[in-house]
Amino acid sequence: MKTRFDAAVIGAGIMGCATALFLARGGMRVVLLDRGEICREASGVNAGTLTMQMTRAALIPYALRAHEMWMAMPAWCAGGDVLATACPGLSVAFTDAEAAMLQERARIRREAGAPIDLIDGRAAQVIEPGLADGVKLAGHCPIDGFASAYLTGRAFRAALQEAGVTLMEATPVRAIAGRFLLNTSAGAVAAQRVVLAGGVWLQDMLAWLGVTLPIKVLINQLVVTERMPQVMRTVLGVASGLLSLKQYANGTVLIGGGWQGIGDRARGGLAVRSENFLGNVRLAAHTVPALRQARVVRSWLGLEAETADALPAIGPIPGIDDAWIIGSVHSGYTSGPYMGRILAQAILGEAPELPLFPIDRLLHQGSNSA
Amino acid sequence: MIFDVAVLGGGPAGMAAATEAAHSAARVVLLEESPVPGGQVYRAPPVGFAMKPDRDRQEGDALRAALAASGAEIRAGCRVWGLGGGPLVAEGEPDAPFSLSALGADGVPFTVEARALILCCGTHERIIPFPGWTMPGVIGLAAATILLKAQGVLPGQRVVVAGIGPLLYAVAAKLLAGGGSIAAVIDAATPGEWLRALPALGARPDLLARGVAWRTKLLAGRVPVLAGAQVTAAEGDKVLSAVRVGKRVFQADALCIGHGLVPATEASRTYRARHAHRPEDGGWVPVLDAAQRTSVPFLYAAGDGAGVRGAAAAPAAGRLAARTALQDLGFSLAYAPKEDAALARARRTGAAMARMMALRPAMIEAIPAETIICRCEGITRDEIEKAAAAGANTINQLKHFTRCGMGPCQGRMCGEAAGALLASARGVGLAELGFATGRLPLRPVPMASILGDFDYADIPVPAPAPI
Amino acid sequence: MNLRIRNVARSAPVSIMVEGVPMMAHPGESLAAALIAAGHWRFGEGEDPARPRTAFCLMGVCQQCLLRVDGRLVQACLTPIVAGQEVSAA
Repeated sequence: MKTRFDAAVIGAGIMGCATALFLARGGMRVVLLDRGEICREASGVNAGTLTMQMTRAALIPYALRAHEMWMAMPAWCAGGDVLATACPGLSVAFTDAEAAMLQERARIRREAGAPIDLIDGRAAQVIEPGLADGVKLAGHCPIDGFASAYLTGRAFRAALQEAGVTLMEATPVRAIAGRFLLNTSAGAVAAQRVVLAGGVWLQDMLAWLGVTLPIKVLINQLVVTERMPQVMRTVLGVASGLLSLKQYANGTVLIGGGWQGIGDRARGGLAVRSENFLGNVRLAAHTVPALRQARVVRSWLGLEAETADALPAIGPIPGIDDAWIIGSVHSGYTSGPYMGRILAQAILGEAPELPLFPIDRLLHQGSNSA
Repeated sequence: MIFDVAVLGGGPAGMAAATEAAHSAARVVLLEESPVPGGQVYRAPPVGFAMKPDRDRQEGDALRAALAASGAEIRAGCRVWGLGGGPLVAEGEPDAPFSLSALGADGVPFTVEARALILCCGTHERIIPFPGWTMPGVIGLAAATILLKAQGVLPGQRVVVAGIGPLLYAVAAKLLAGGGSIAAVIDAATPGEWLRALPALGARPDLLARGVAWRTKLLAGRVPVLAGAQVTAAEGDKVLSAVRVGKRVFQADALCIGHGLVPATEASRTYRARHAHRPEDGGWVPVLDAAQRTSVPFLYAAGDGAGVRGAAAAPAAGRLAARTALQDLGFSLAYAPKEDAALARARRTGAAMARMMALRPAMIEAIPAETIICRCEGITRDEIEKAAAAGANTINQLKHFTRCGMGPCQGRMCGEAAGALLASARGVGLAELGFATGRLPLRPVPMASILGDFDYADIPVPAPAPI
Repeated sequence: MNLRIRNVARSAPVSIMVEGVPMMAHPGESLAAALIAAGHWRFGEGEDPARPRTAFCLMGVCQQCLLRVDGRLVQACLTPIVAGQEVSAA
């Protein structure tokens, strides 16, 4: 055996990259494997929203800390940069029903630590002049922002190298034997610990270890416009969370919000669903009317993982010493780097700053054994 | 209504495919971007214009007449931007009809559904970047052909014609015939390369004669023809004023330059058909069986978009695709196909020309470091090579590292050169880099055109995620 | 300047406005061709003077010839001339 790594992290998305980086910084010899290229799935194609107003309440403390990390990324990521930009965020309601939903959701998120205040439509238009008339109520959060998610792989790559992580791209893992011998397309890789960080493919990865954990696959649609003159300056969403809008410094406007396209775990994101494509862009144009002047350049899909209770799977894998899991974090990009940091703390034997999300709650009693 | 066969693209392959399919009583629709079908080679002049018809026009008119008489529905002047259906369905669902979303000539959106889809999307031009290629006054050879033959406009008062392949001399001859003045013809191919292509050209004496006539015209016009030479820079202030070829400088207000043709595969990529990289066919092409079937059931491809063989070979391929589609759909053919001996000759000649026009690695290597490769995003060779050094391994990854190919043309103009530079920097073949994932819209689409009239209450907003 | 080839029968010319200046062109011909025929190659400055807006592929692919016509963004090479069009940089 050539090298026995202290840890093998499987899946080079934001969760895997952050975990591998902080493990290596903690002194471990780490190998990071991906069947494709670094951050080319959800972590590289998501909407880059760094908002509190689409984040689940339970994750707000994590997302707030991650927001700080994103804004200071070059400092802890060896100069790696995703052009993270801080700006205010608005979540708007056009109807009474949406206003009621917004009030409730803003209250819950505020209690979780997000500094969201409710303002009327006119005040919202002062913060966001691009916003349409007819807004009844808006949630305003001064801590918001966005990143260029497509830069994530490039940003992490150099830092991983500097930290001494062995990055094995285009190297699918086929199975895991013993504790732990990874059967990969590039031969066997041995490691003392294993971290599964495979996004929507976590279900298949857990099966290697004999663990059954259903992971639902969301096929999130995204749409981007051609560069255009400035039409907005905040991160905009709607009360239901089914819209995210932001304009990048280069003038392109990214339209997201989690409308569902066609695809699955096996085939990936295949295509947008035309009625959902239309619904998503109509909602965007209704919210920022100047988008009617835009040309749509591209649509694509990002696969998001979800557990049965829509809360993360982060922690030890029960019954298998030294096996860990990280993923299924709602709006996972937003809090990704922080999740990787606290999992690395746990693996390194330190107390994580904030609690992990152990998966014991999701496993059926007796149905799993190593 | 669901059509039996939809044909995407109304060039020679598409016109012939639609005509053939309609003859067997199938319900057929042809979708074409130009106001009149024809494609690039057989492009018709605008309605209300009349030009002295050349041979291409006559061949195009014959295909157009047959199409018009065939009973196929013709949707010309429309922009197809969305592709769905076919294999693009959720897990466990049966294949759906192919679904094409388009904007009509009047700007009104419409959708066409069909049980079978024949892709006849043609090519776009390969132009290997060189210093100054983004200067106004520099256009493609195919662009010049359209300008001269379909619009009746000269690209400039004094023109340099440069690049590779038969289009070079066709454009030069058209320029002279239109009363234009040519400063020079810069042929990247050597006389030896043309000599080696001669046996294949011999299969088409008509073309050979045409080529000889073009050369004779240039000689008579005392036009300097530089063989085995390349444009090194386009120069000027605001617009083109000179073309540099090594130490020689030609004053010119237009440069028509092209280095071959690249199959337009965005539709077959969107449908996830299997593709192969074949330089001699123009680059990435859908993998076809002998009867024009792609790897996706009921999806076919024909014409240059399936591998460059030229306009003459395209109609027969289109007809074959149509017959195969009809058979697969369970139609009985109206008549037995006859093997076209001319097709084999046309293919042989087309293949020889395609080989001559294949991507030339030496031209890629000659691109200076600071030259813009992706003109939508302003990405230079240097930036591509830095990205390669920083770990960009594939075309899709190069996009993420640099934004190369992420602009409005979606990498159609730069993708090949960028790929060749990345492959060279990594020391691998182009095939190893993969290709950009096909996604809609096929072309940028104005938001205002697709939005339509709607009430906020009618937007089918899905249920919110749990808080 | 008029770079139109003679011996081509064209529809009767009409007037369009290009950046506020009247220009004659023939209905049906492409806006890109009409501009080139008038020696007007530089369609706009774009975002970088090194790659201004201009006609390049003339077949709807390259997206370089984007212009604003009557308030809408269009590709000049795919836009037929219609009398009275108001053309400005994108």
